[in-house]
Amino acid sequence: MPADEHNACPPPLVPSDDPAMRARLAASHVAIIGCGGLGSNAAAMLLRSGVGHLTLIDFDVVEEGNLNRQLFFRDQVGMRKTDALAETLRRIDPGAALTLVHECMTAENLLATVGAADVVIEAVDRAEVKAMITNVLCGAAPELPLVGASGLAGVRSANDVLTEQIGEHFYLVGDCTSDVRDGLPLLASRVMVAAAHQAHAAIRILLGHAEP
Amino acid sequence: MQVNVALFAHLSSFQPDGEAGRKPRAFDLPEGTTVGAVIESLGLPDEPRVLFINGRHADEDTVLAEGDRLAIFPPVAGG
Repeated sequence: MPADEHNACPPPLVPSDDPAMRARLAASHVAIIGCGGLGSNAAAMLLRSGVGHLTLIDFDVVEEGNLNRQLFFRDQVGMRKTDALAETLRRIDPGAALTLVHECMTAENLLATVGAADVVIEAVDRAEVKAMITNVLCGAAPELPLVGASGLAGVRSANDVLTEQIGEHFYLVGDCTSDVRDGLPLLASRVMVAAAHQAHAAIRILLGHAEP
Repeated sequence: MQVNVALFAHLSSFQPDGEAGRKPRAFDLPEGTTVGAVIESLGLPDEPRVLFINGRHADEDTVLAEGDRLAIFPPVAGG
């Protein structure tokens, strides 16, 4: 292969043969709050599905203990999660449009950070932060679709993880009850089931489908 | 007035009929009852929660109306 071909732009991902679907997803923007087990895996699925713009939000850095379920690698330990995830996503699609926000979301900065997205994914770990995000966004931006997660720990059946429409524009993924505070483990298999539900719910919202 | 109340997850055990499950139960309430008053009368624990009335976000000061569907959802940790 001639040397200059190594530097040529790689072809874009082609997630679908349907041009209208491809165009709709390519024009879409999803904000992901939290780049842990849910957010890092959902981000990769959204990118691979052709979502054009992702905002990745996390204040934390990659730790050894994250590697059991989060889309990070050993040589990324110590990096900001947003930077490490962007690095990995750009290995999948060098042309990915990514906005990185290395900040803790609060009731004061949340809407300004995610308000321009077409869909927001809540992918944080603490219950009180999940409640804050849901209350702020559903209260101040009721038309902005939000996909939350609640109940993904433990070894209950993966079939118990559901996507449900709880509010007009609020979708909830999980079994609603399995809580890490009860000592349940976060297994990659079940966390990724929930992450896939969240990514797929976002895609369905972007494409105009309603949840049953 | 009659209001339907759905309690999600472990909160369902606080329904007056003692039956598990999130299906809405009909409550007879005086006019002017707030969401907060329902929470207090049910004895729900003081923990993070999200409130919806007829699918729209609400808060504890919201006054309920005849036929409203109140849903109370407590997020659980893990992500």
